[in-house]
Amino acid sequence: MAAESAFAIPKGQVDLMDFVDWSGVECLNQSGSNTIVNALKQGYREDEGLNLVSDADEQLLIYIPFNQVIKLHSIVIKGPEEEGPKTVKLFSNKEHMGFSNVNDYPPSDTVVLSEDNLKGKPVTLKYVKFQNVRSVTIFIEDNQHDGETTNVQKIVLYGSTVETTDMKGLKKIEDH
Amino acid sequence: MVLEATMICIDNSEWMRNGDYSPNRFQALADAVNLICGAKTQSNPENTVGILTMAGKGVRVLVTPTSDLGKILACMHGLEIGGEMNLAAGIQVAQLALKHRQNKKQQQRIIVFAGSPVKYDKKVLEMIGRKLKKNSVALDVVNFGEDDEGKAEKLEALVAALNTNDSSHIIHIPPGPNALSDVLISTPIFTGDGEGGSGFAAAAAAAAAGGVSGYDFGVDPNLDPELALALRVSMEEERARQEAAAKKAAEEAGNQEKGENQSTSQDVAMAENVNAGTSEPESKATDLMDDENALLQQALAMSMDDSSSNVATRDTDMSEAASEDQDLALALQLSVQDSTNDQSNPTDMSKLLADQSFVSSILASLPGVDPNDPSVKDLLASMQGQSEKKDEDNDKEQKEDKK
Repeated sequence: MAAESAFAIPKGQVDLMDFVDWSGVECLNQSGSNTIVNALKQGYREDEGLNLVSDADEQLLIYIPFNQVIKLHSIVIKGPEEEGPKTVKLFSNKEHMGFSNVNDYPPSDTVVLSEDNLKGKPVTLKYVKFQNVRSVTIFIEDNQHDGETTNVQKIVLYGSTVETTDMKGLKKIEDH
Repeated sequence: MVLEATMICIDNSEWMRNGDYSPNRFQALADAVNLICGAKTQSNPENTVGILTMAGKGVRVLVTPTSDLGKILACMHGLEIGGEMNLAAGIQVAQLALKHRQNKKQQQRIIVFAGSPVKYDKKVLEMIGRKLKKNSVALDVVNFGEDDEGKAEKLEALVAALNTNDSSHIIHIPPGPNALSDVLISTPIFTGDGEGGSGFAAAAAAAAAGGVSGYDFGVDPNLDPELALALRVSMEEERARQEAAAKKAAEEAGNQEKGENQSTSQDVAMAENVNAGTSEPESKATDLMDDENALLQQALAMSMDDSSSNVATRDTDMSEAASEDQDLALALQLSVQDSTNDQSNPTDMSKLLADQSFVSSILASLPGVDPNDPSVKDLLASMQGQSEKKDEDNDKEQKEDKK
């Protein structure tokens, strides 16, 4: 019972996948057939067989833009015990990031994932650092066993939306 | 229809002055770049292409990725040759340019033209290759020109280090009579991955396969597909018409021979002759019109020498000729028609004159002659009464008198 409550969605927060601008989502170093969609999209991420796998080495860089401003509260990253990610750095509102400049900026938050976290326990982030987020960049630096490939089953972002107008929802008023 | 942002790295070092690719290495390269830019921008309207030079005073980006083909082609003019190629710097600058592309949906691709020796170590290149792979950049290498210091090997290692899913390619183009762009057309660099390439690529490849002449009728089917279609249809109709005419001419020739040999079947022969005879003035006119056509004249002379008996053998000759030269075939066809007509006319003139309807039609076509005139009718009737052996010259005189 206690374990179950630990995995539950934090109170007052919602799954932010509805607010992701999918056309802008980008993942570097993903292998050709196991892409970011497998870990991020509803339906795909619930499937244990569909994973995000790294390609050239163990690092992954995931850029997720939102179509409105959000507040990020916590994150769930699920993965297998051995190949699951370990050190994860999060950056807010950093566009055009590459592996060459991940060390140029201080991360908004750094998380070291435990075994529990990999099974689905949410990690609470420094909430004050993620108050005005238009995009978030997730940099997975290494994995649990320092292997060459990293495997991510599921990524969920929990938070809330800031009361703003979604400009994309606006439609041109036709002339009368 | 791959959505791609491409950076093309041009080698403009001193090595490119060499003339072992026609007209010289640099011109060949410029042609190839133009071709690839066209193919890339046409395969998807959102594709972008940029260009940078790897030699000269350091790496210089001429155009950042853009879909404006004019901008891309314009920057290729007035490029200066000089210095040495810096492959590593070139590729890394290209990667930076791609990283800041506007549309993140675009796949990243670098195309490197390397015509001068590569001074970098294999290990350095492999490291760059892995870096590109990590950043999801595909790399195509066109290796031509110099082949010193294991250049091919180094470039192979570079491509092998980043090749995933067969998205990166390397091709080696030795010097030879073929233009660089012609060789590129058939490679995966040009046609793209799978899918048989874009429409532009297919069209260009077809044009190249068809020979140096390029497009039929001198019209680019991509620019004006309707015009091209209309031209093709009319060409086919004309061809069909010519074939039918040739067939008819051959049949007539055969029938006439029969008619000449068997004088008993006169009626049949006469009917045929009417057909042949009516077309005579027209063919004569065309003869005069095409007077300056030496080829036709020659063909005519040749066919006149032949006797009409070997029409069949001549037909086979013609079909052979048709496969070799269309002009010659056309001339031959015409000459066969003409000669059969001509041959039939002198011998059968008396028979022709005996046919009232034919003569009256001729008379009607003459200016100032009324076939319904009673005096003319009388004359015609008297002519029919005369013997068939009447000399044709006399007839002609009579006709002239009437005029």
